[in-house]
Amino acid sequence: MAPPRSRLTRRDALRLGGLALPALALPGLLAGCDSASGSVGSVLRVAQTSDPKTLDPQKQGDLTSMNVLINLFDTLTTRGPDNQLAPGLALSWTSPDPLTWRFKLRPGVRFHNGEPCDAKAVAFSINRLLDPATKSPIVELRYVKQAVIVDELTVDLRCSQPDPIIPAKVSLFGGVAVPPGYLKQVGSAGFAKHPVGTGPFTFVEFQRDHQMRMRANPGYWGGRPSFDELVFLPMPDPSSALASLQSNEVDIVASLTPDAALQIQGYTGVSIRNYPGIRTSYLSLDTTAGPLRDVRVRQALNHAVDVPLLIKAVLDGKAREVPTMFPRESFGFDPSITPYSRDVGLAKRLLADAGFPNGFDTSLTAQTGDSNIAEVISGLLAKAGVRARVDLVDTGTYTSRLTSNNRSALGPIYLAASTGWTLDAESLVQSNVRHDRRQSRWSSPAADRLIDAEELTVDPAGRQRAFTALQSLLKQEAPFVFLYQIDNIYAVNTRPRWQPGVVGVLGMAQAQVTS
Amino acid sequence: MTAPTVSVAKPPAAGTGVLRVVVTKVLTAIVVLFFVATAAFFLVRLSGDPVKLILAPDASAAQEATLRAGLGLDRPLLTQYLDYLGGLPRLHFGNSLVYDQPVSEVLLARVPATLELAAAALVIALLLAIPAGAFAALRRGRAGDSGVMAGVLIGQSTPAFWVGIVLILIFAVQLQVLPASGYGGFTHLILPAVTLAVYSVAVIARLLRSSMIDVLGSDYIRTARAKGLSTGGIVVSHGMRNAALPVVTVIGLEVGTLLGGAILTERVFSWPGIGRLTVEAIQNRDFPLVQASVLFFAATFVVVNLLVDLSYTVLDPRVRVTS
Repeated sequence: MAPPRSRLTRRDALRLGGLALPALALPGLLAGCDSASGSVGSVLRVAQTSDPKTLDPQKQGDLTSMNVLINLFDTLTTRGPDNQLAPGLALSWTSPDPLTWRFKLRPGVRFHNGEPCDAKAVAFSINRLLDPATKSPIVELRYVKQAVIVDELTVDLRCSQPDPIIPAKVSLFGGVAVPPGYLKQVGSAGFAKHPVGTGPFTFVEFQRDHQMRMRANPGYWGGRPSFDELVFLPMPDPSSALASLQSNEVDIVASLTPDAALQIQGYTGVSIRNYPGIRTSYLSLDTTAGPLRDVRVRQALNHAVDVPLLIKAVLDGKAREVPTMFPRESFGFDPSITPYSRDVGLAKRLLADAGFPNGFDTSLTAQTGDSNIAEVISGLLAKAGVRARVDLVDTGTYTSRLTSNNRSALGPIYLAASTGWTLDAESLVQSNVRHDRRQSRWSSPAADRLIDAEELTVDPAGRQRAFTALQSLLKQEAPFVFLYQIDNIYAVNTRPRWQPGVVGVLGMAQAQVTS
Repeated sequence: MTAPTVSVAKPPAAGTGVLRVVVTKVLTAIVVLFFVATAAFFLVRLSGDPVKLILAPDASAAQEATLRAGLGLDRPLLTQYLDYLGGLPRLHFGNSLVYDQPVSEVLLARVPATLELAAAALVIALLLAIPAGAFAALRRGRAGDSGVMAGVLIGQSTPAFWVGIVLILIFAVQLQVLPASGYGGFTHLILPAVTLAVYSVAVIARLLRSSMIDVLGSDYIRTARAKGLSTGGIVVSHGMRNAALPVVTVIGLEVGTLLGGAILTERVFSWPGIGRLTVEAIQNRDFPLVQASVLFFAATFVVVNLLVDLSYTVLDPRVRVTS
């Protein structure tokens, strides 16, 4: 994974400059001076809404934590600049039989404490994750039974049923390597206090709710990062995070919403960058009860919700319409399937055909943070005669109802969003399309067959055929109202040069900083 | 939480009086804390299931069950409750469900930042409010009084987060003289402490003004004036001391307000304190952490109330001798 040529030369230039700088910058940093004042030297400061929950990468399962930890740890596979799966700690992978995934490891990789990262370490890591005693919240490796050492640089993951996207699943959660010797020495609690990985940065200091500091790893197998120090700052309030950017206390503010980003328009020295993202939103329809049982009603809703207008009016244009619920960058997406036409007249005719010439009353449940979007969707539905009362619930309540045994707990219609970071369409449908899944509110034998085909087949061509058929079926039967995939939005000052991938993870190994 | 009132200081016998008050107060405090601990335990469990929040929504029911058992949340409620109560005397609060770290560690790491902020805010509030209140009382009904009272009214009716954002925009973004947020040196403390102090300045200044007006109209002040003492001397040696009693009560209450107000201020200024921690713990349904932070707040109130009560015996001899 050699970076492009031009970047190498620029990095070399920076490295030379870096030799002159340490005398100036490092003593202050080492002494723990305020990151906010004085010389910032070759430091990159990134603000996101909160801290990692824990520094043990196998005891967290959220992207906010992973955004920080991916700088300390490596994963078996990774995503290249083109969003394609690329070698990480594993150089290659194959599936010798449907229940096995075999990973060939990169030779010579060492943890920050000098321990070798070989098959023993990788197998230990996966088995530690699978051990119930670890209490890991990572759920992706559910079909992996155990990791087995084949030789010094080869590891097999043995599965209980075929799982074609294991290589994608070990590109983030689940694919992290932890050092067995160090863990034995300091224990899990000690490891979480002072994590040791193989990643591009080494751990320096973590003060919860204040800052997480890391230093460039000179021995990194992918090459030393081009700047000296990486600092993550948790800033829950977007207004104050943006103020910190304007007063030069941070360089990048990540995970902004479109309306928060608007606050900063017109200020010099700072800019808003939005990049394509994969977080995909949709309305889940309860097809088992009421008017939504009728496919014409569900199609009417899809014609009524004018997604391009919604994107323009509420999301400041920072989102892309999706034909079904598969993001464009995911494996399985078929561009030949087009979005619904937006047509209130047609929606009304379909409703009348289904026996609702005067529309009907229903409710639309959303999380409090999505209140704007829910209100606008409710307004768009009302134009076609569907009067949806907006019910807002907090995240905790929403999640509990979403995963409860009562599949109607969130009402007839709810607004949902999913970040399918595996970049495989399976992630978007795995829990809510097959009739027996936890959040499914739709029963279709044809869909069940297609889900089985894409989930249990390893051959990509066969999977693509199943996904294409599934998208056609989803569009035709409309058990959801398909909305948009929202951009990843960052506010930056003039210092950093960095291009995020579509998943939006804050891995900073390739970033550059100018002073 | 009991508000401090002047009447709670029971008429003690001379000598052992203060000690007896303290013993009674400490015993009461333990009972209060026991009830707070119990309420926190059951109320937080009514809020829902933390396992659902820790795991991704596509987790299987089996994965949920495994984690729930791992966290000890599958045990009978009574077992969990007794376990929790048993740990309290030893200050064992269990492990945070989300951070996978002892709650006492998580909490204690944050206490200094909050105390620092609250103390700084209180000092700023007193430094501004005492002269302002006294000045307004002496200028009663005149332009100076109206001016101070108008300022105070604005301060009291402005929400803290708004004050915070305005201060950030002026001093951090425009003038660039103070950091917008974060925790570190003295400069980081100024904006959040001022933000937090604004409301308290208003409350204390108003109360001091009216208390002072009462005192200035009383017989002993007239006597002092008749003796030919200067206005300044009267205010400092007689007025202040006698006007202080209700003000001390309010300052005690203000400590609570400051700790509570810290929740919003800590968020706006990204201050690593206990208020922000508590809000996040509630959002995450991190039962052990919520229980411990609620207890921390309750214990702070109880201790401050005790100190306020005791200070009466120093400030007002009548509290000691009346029976």
